[in-house]
Amino acid sequence: MRFLQALRYFCREAAVNLLRSWKVSLLAVLTIAVSLFLGGAFLLVSGNLAASVERWRGEMRAVIYLKPDTPEAELRRLAAEAGRQPGVKSVETVTPAAARRRFQQIFPGLADLVAGWQDEPLPASLEVGLDPAAGAPARSAWLDGWRRRPEVTLVDDDREWLGQLETVVAVVRTVGLALVAGLLGAAIFTIASVIRLTAYLHHEEISVMRLVGSTEFFIRGPFYVEGLLQGLLGGLVASGALWGVYQLLHARGRGSLVSAVLVLDFLKPQEVGFLILLGGAAGLFGAVASLRREAL
Amino acid sequence: MIQFFHVSKRYPGGQSALDDITFDIPRGQFVFLTGASGAGKTTLLRLIFREEVPSAGQILVNGRNVASIPQSKIPYLRRTIGVVFQDFRLIARKTVFENVTYLPRLLGVDLQGQKKLAYQSLRRVGLAHRLNAFPPELSGGEQQRVAIARALINEPDILIADEPTGNLDPDLSREILRLFLEVNLRGTTVILATHDRDTIQRVGRRVITLDRGAVVLDQELVGTDPPALDLLAGTGPDPEPPPEGEGGAG
Repeated sequence: MRFLQALRYFCREAAVNLLRSWKVSLLAVLTIAVSLFLGGAFLLVSGNLAASVERWRGEMRAVIYLKPDTPEAELRRLAAEAGRQPGVKSVETVTPAAARRRFQQIFPGLADLVAGWQDEPLPASLEVGLDPAAGAPARSAWLDGWRRRPEVTLVDDDREWLGQLETVVAVVRTVGLALVAGLLGAAIFTIASVIRLTAYLHHEEISVMRLVGSTEFFIRGPFYVEGLLQGLLGGLVASGALWGVYQLLHARGRGSLVSAVLVLDFLKPQEVGFLILLGGAAGLFGAVASLRREAL
Repeated sequence: MIQFFHVSKRYPGGQSALDDITFDIPRGQFVFLTGASGAGKTTLLRLIFREEVPSAGQILVNGRNVASIPQSKIPYLRRTIGVVFQDFRLIARKTVFENVTYLPRLLGVDLQGQKKLAYQSLRRVGLAHRLNAFPPELSGGEQQRVAIARALINEPDILIADEPTGNLDPDLSREILRLFLEVNLRGTTVILATHDRDTIQRVGRRVITLDRGAVVLDQELVGTDPPALDLLAGTGPDPEPPPEGEGGAG
């Protein structure tokens, strides 16, 4: 039998088997869909989080807070000095009055807190835009140098929390991988059981096929395709569900932190393809594993 | 065609099913294999199509040593042997057409070719008009005829039947036996296991008698009521028209 003919036969038989025992097939498809949905969700969240970290890294900045009585000329001098440092993209001076206005703008409900003071309540500062491509040790040493200067009260640096976010991304990825591996194992087991059950239900037909001279390839082929189809269907269901949940969160959380950080972009087409193929591979593996030791 | 050389078969635990069997069945011969239940008839038949492996001895089928052919070659051996069982072994959820076309399908014959072969084979057994029926819709005799059509679809060199009339009433048994004799007349070697001594006596032919796993008698019998075909005749070939427009197959 030619390969394409055989493949057509396998697909037809597998489709008939899937429809005939649709309840157990559905169970297998849903099991694999749940595992892949969770895997996809972790991929989506960690991917968006990593992209956000990367974006923030590109916008990395440090704020150098000066003593309250720093004169404006000194502020400009320090800004010019900071601007000469390699790895510094920009320096913006923020006078105490500008800092107060900004506070009142951002937190209108707390505007009274900083109003009516004899002296400006907020210190002057330098907002320094840093080039993420510049070497981290040199940047660190430079900022430490500023911390030690007498005219400086505090240096607030993005690096620390960006590092913490990177750790969170790594943890999310690791936990996701472990969880998905476990769930995928369960899904493979389910598919293997379903295939074994189907093979058992067909044992009479299999014995007839052997009797008339069927090869093992011809006998097992439909079961392998059945496992593959279950896995691919599971992958498709998972991708569809993920897309639906993404749309829902995106629509509901527009403008929120969750939307901005965790569900900013959907998976890339190749990642969706990978999820579906992973389902197919798991299904095929389940089928092969279930029939490998079976005498059929 | 089929040669047994000192063949023995013992099952794990030491139980002996066949003991030192030697015989030779030439091409085109009709052979009755008889003996009481448990005499070893089924085991002997299963050895021919390599469902069982002998514990000792050699079995040649069409010049091939069945005992030593590799597992991967067994399907090719079986494609030259048609097998019919007492319990028909039809798949209830498949149509008659699907039941008889397993072999053509796996050999890559296209649907038109499968329909043609199914029609020809079913016509020989008088059931071409039941192409789209399901086995449970057929009588016992019809089911056995479908099983015979399945065995004959590839024009096998050898047709093996294990108690094919065991589940049928005398009229139907006669009809099935007539089919086997017809198949044999076309040149197919037929080995039919039965314990129905009356039929054997009336039909005649070569008779190999087994008792407790050994051949106790190998004789040519002249039927008591010849010619056997006339004796067994009762239904002619299927008269229905060719399958043009016959739908639903496959």
